[in-house]
Amino acid sequence: MKYFLKRVIGTIPVLLGVVLLIFVMLRIIPGNPVVILLGEHYDQATIDRLTDLMGYDQPILLQFVNYVKGALVGDLGVSYKYSRPVTEMIMEALPYTIRLALMAVVFAWGLGLITGIIAAVKKNNFIDRMFMGVSLLGVSMPIFMTSLLLQYIFAFKLGWLPMTEEGTFASMILPAIALGWNSAGSVARMTRSSLIEVMQADYIDTARAKGLRKGAVIIGHALKNSLLPVVTMMALQLSSMLSGAVITESVFAIPGIGRLATTAINNRDMPVLQGTVLFTTVIVIAGNLLADFLYSVLDPRIRKGD
Amino acid sequence: MKKTTKCILGTMFMAALLAGCGGSSSDAGSGAAETQESAQVTSVAAEDGVVRIANIADYQTLDVHKTSADFTIPINVFDRLFEIVPTDGGSTEIVNSLVDDYTISEDGLTYDFTLKSGVTFSDGTPFTANDVKYTIERALTLPETVQTDIYASIAGAQELMDGTADDLSGVVVTDDTHFSITLSVPYAGFIGQLATPGAAMFSESITEAAGDSFGQDPAVTIGTGPYMVTSWERNASLTLEVNPNYWGEEPDVKKVIISIVPDPSTMSMMFQNGELDMLDGDELDSAVFDATYRTPQYEDKIVSAFRLATTYMALNENVEPLNDVNVRKAIQMAIDRQTILDTVYSGGGFLVDGIYARGLLGYTEDNQGWLQYDPEGAKALLAEAGYPDGFTMEISSDNSASSSVLLVLQIIQQNLAEVGITLDIVPYDEASWLDLRQSGEMPSFVATWTADYNDPDNFIYTFFGSEENVVNRSLNYKDTDVINRVAAARAIIDDEERMAEYAALEEKIVKEDAAWVPLFSRSHFYVLGDRVESFTPHWAGYSAYIYSTFKLAD
Amino acid sequence: MFEHEDKNMALNEDLQSQIGERDGIRDKLKRMCRENPLAAVSAVVIAIIILMAIFAPVIAPYGEAEQDLINRLQAPSAEHWLGTDELGRDLFSRMLYGSRLSITIGILPSLISLTIGVVAGLAAGYFGGWVDYVIMRVADVMLSIPSLILAMVVMYTLGTSTVNLFIALSMTGWSSVARVVRSQTLSIKQSEYVEAARSIGVGRWKIMFRHILPNCIPSLIVLFTLNVPSAILSESSLSFLGIGVKVPAASWGLIVNQGRQFLFTQPWLCLAPCVAIMIVVLAFNFLGDGLRDALDPYMQR
Repeated sequence: MKYFLKRVIGTIPVLLGVVLLIFVMLRIIPGNPVVILLGEHYDQATIDRLTDLMGYDQPILLQFVNYVKGALVGDLGVSYKYSRPVTEMIMEALPYTIRLALMAVVFAWGLGLITGIIAAVKKNNFIDRMFMGVSLLGVSMPIFMTSLLLQYIFAFKLGWLPMTEEGTFASMILPAIALGWNSAGSVARMTRSSLIEVMQADYIDTARAKGLRKGAVIIGHALKNSLLPVVTMMALQLSSMLSGAVITESVFAIPGIGRLATTAINNRDMPVLQGTVLFTTVIVIAGNLLADFLYSVLDPRIRKGD
Repeated sequence: MKKTTKCILGTMFMAALLAGCGGSSSDAGSGAAETQESAQVTSVAAEDGVVRIANIADYQTLDVHKTSADFTIPINVFDRLFEIVPTDGGSTEIVNSLVDDYTISEDGLTYDFTLKSGVTFSDGTPFTANDVKYTIERALTLPETVQTDIYASIAGAQELMDGTADDLSGVVVTDDTHFSITLSVPYAGFIGQLATPGAAMFSESITEAAGDSFGQDPAVTIGTGPYMVTSWERNASLTLEVNPNYWGEEPDVKKVIISIVPDPSTMSMMFQNGELDMLDGDELDSAVFDATYRTPQYEDKIVSAFRLATTYMALNENVEPLNDVNVRKAIQMAIDRQTILDTVYSGGGFLVDGIYARGLLGYTEDNQGWLQYDPEGAKALLAEAGYPDGFTMEISSDNSASSSVLLVLQIIQQNLAEVGITLDIVPYDEASWLDLRQSGEMPSFVATWTADYNDPDNFIYTFFGSEENVVNRSLNYKDTDVINRVAAARAIIDDEERMAEYAALEEKIVKEDAAWVPLFSRSHFYVLGDRVESFTPHWAGYSAYIYSTFKLAD
Repeated sequence: MFEHEDKNMALNEDLQSQIGERDGIRDKLKRMCRENPLAAVSAVVIAIIILMAIFAPVIAPYGEAEQDLINRLQAPSAEHWLGTDELGRDLFSRMLYGSRLSITIGILPSLISLTIGVVAGLAAGYFGGWVDYVIMRVADVMLSIPSLILAMVVMYTLGTSTVNLFIALSMTGWSSVARVVRSQTLSIKQSEYVEAARSIGVGRWKIMFRHILPNCIPSLIVLFTLNVPSAILSESSLSFLGIGVKVPAASWGLIVNQGRQFLFTQPWLCLAPCVAIMIVVLAFNFLGDGLRDALDPYMQR
């Protein structure tokens, strides 16, 4: 547990760094976000009045301190465009992204592990090559292409599943597959290679020699040990999944965090953008901690090691 | 202890894996239960009296004092004192809405209004002349207001905005249905301005009680219009239902479900799939629109509407060599506008040779032929101006604009290359683009101005009405005499005289000074689904729909 | 003085023979070609694409932005191998020119992030202490922000241009390089040879770049090869969101984005560049895998 406390405390400077980086980057943009509110209809007096209202003219250090203070109590400021608390907007969007990411993870793990195991067992024969080829195809396909094709084929042409998010489980299946597709490829490849490595180890031979069936050996011994690198990888993939969510959420009209980020960019809505970046980062860091935790549970040596 | 934790975690792990192995489709049971409670109103079932529409982005607010763009919902939820409606001849007329009758004094300064009696807000609160005064004062004094210009010509408006007066002296309420408005100078476009979406009427008691929630929380955002917002799930959907207390005729459409769909291709597929009852052609690239909808299946479901809008190219006269009138004239001649219209917009629209759009009051056909496509003539003018080998100039493009606009720019780029001018297209995100233009430093751009109210003033004043405006639109037009005349024209009481002055100004600016490169006015296409028989498009061609005009098929 | 140099040289040879020689790489590559033909084929494919990019003006039948407004949205034919786009531009020519930008977008940011990552990783691993702490926390910060979101923020801050795109893509890749280099530096730093070099007064930077860096090269080659496809994919995602390079220049990502609205009516406009992206990404991935197996089995973990 001490190890974890140390890890958790270790993330504090990283979080502060993220806030500082985003804060500074978003303040050096030239120009004024007010104009976007006005569009084609603007006049100087209105622009000046709204600029004052947003507190744009405070010293940057003061703005930063105030922001960190606010963030600690869950106040991430107010959206320029929508005049609503950013925290509220994120909390509305979060369940969608979490549901999407969880389903994508389940899909990626399910498909990736099964194909990875089969490929490892059938090492180097036709099935192995085919699975690995297909998984690489998954890794190489731009995610928006996967999304558009899935949507076109299964929702539009075949009509099996809804085209956009409707609050139902079925309407999340296509986005989850689109998002999990890339990860499934990586999981499959990783599972295959680590399983092959583990199966060559002595204790597997021992287990086989003890008369255990091949399947039992794979599930009971080899798989457990080969999961270690896969778990770590999944944590790292959380970050790329959140990136991917930006795209899938746009194609499938899901009102999640990624959508919030893209609209914030289009609207130059700095508080919202700042909040979403901070939030996604917290999720990634939490995911890494969780992976560490699982890793040490699965492999107690790691705690002594550090 | 340690061992048990490990065991439990291991089991959980395997359980998760097994759930995953089951695949996402067959193992739907637990997931469905979990999502059930969060499932919201986004039903897409084709119920009776329901119209389903998609919008590309969520609405910023329903409070028109705080937005200059998101009018679709407020148009249906609130009423204005006057309404603009399209006429058969392709023009428009102003009709009374909340106002029953009005008179204007001889000097054009004082308007006496009588309100319709018996109008209530959807919660039953009566609508009175006090609410009118309250709404106008709110639009002028709210810290976040963007609608001051509608009422800026009322006497005492400036004092109220400056804080030197507590009360708007130009608006006098006599009783619940009678009030008068006095202007500081005569302004012919005033009634037209009262018909713009930004001039929606609010209730003092409801709006004050709602505070900051007004425009955000549907439950407290209450108007007198035919519909009321019954639910608003951010970034997902918004539902309108008929207002039971509406003073006018009950609309055919009882419920409108608007889904927020950020991707145009998705939107188009939803329409084809029967999940939407109308598609706005503006959301699609026109080539895609043609390929998909100009087909036997959809052709007779396309509605084409007039747009009171001018697409123009602006040239910044502070930028060398655009300060040379011959160079500007050469650019006017070098652009093959008909080909652009035919190529990018499939010929949907017509060329505009002046500032005012067809259908606008004061529009005449006298300006036809001011601009001719003549690349040879353009080359000669460039040589005369001292640029026989052409020059390089920049045009700024807005990333958020539709891809059609980018195509227009690329054809202009090719056109100008033919006369020796190298045009660099520099992309900006929307905010930077607007910011740069407002700073007066944008070298050139293409944009479209759509009428807010039907008066030439709305066009010419916006661009040439003050020294601030010519800078804010990055035109930097230099002739202060013309600028003063544009401002003065607002106060000409005699309409014929006023229109003659507007025509003279248009000729001076476009033909003589070449300070404005008019391109075209394009039509607005919509496709109707099987369930909608007809609807009246917005009079100016905005993507704002008046749901009470929808007629459903039987 | 002479003696010193001699010693140094001897040490150097010793080092190289013991911890991995540069000549060895060539042999390993040869073996890879024999044992892993897929990787070898991928290398050839990449070489061909790079050559096509270099000679695009010679090969391309039409200009990059040459419009032919009469022949718009043509299906693939003898004159236009991949058809024409909405402005009548020849898609094949556009893709050839686009490959220049796309390949550059893949390679240049990867090189930049490699350089930053190497310097940061070496410094962190070698100096340790607060230098290590600060560098690795900065790397953690970069790794914690989802890469596409970070790239979006950078493009938003700096504005959309090709140069800014390079910056945005470079910012995301260096931290993983730094981590790998750091851990290798840490392990080599402890070795007797480096201890010995230090004891006879070889300069820090010399030790880092002459003795430690060469040992990282196999991993770096692999990391670089795997970074290229992710940069290409990131660019296509940014273009999809409308935050990419400027027209009429073309990158594959931009062509896909312009063509995607025609996915259902003129699918080749979108699919052709998409397939091109997939081929390049696949080729780099295969090559990267092959190189990893051949050069750096250690990295599999």
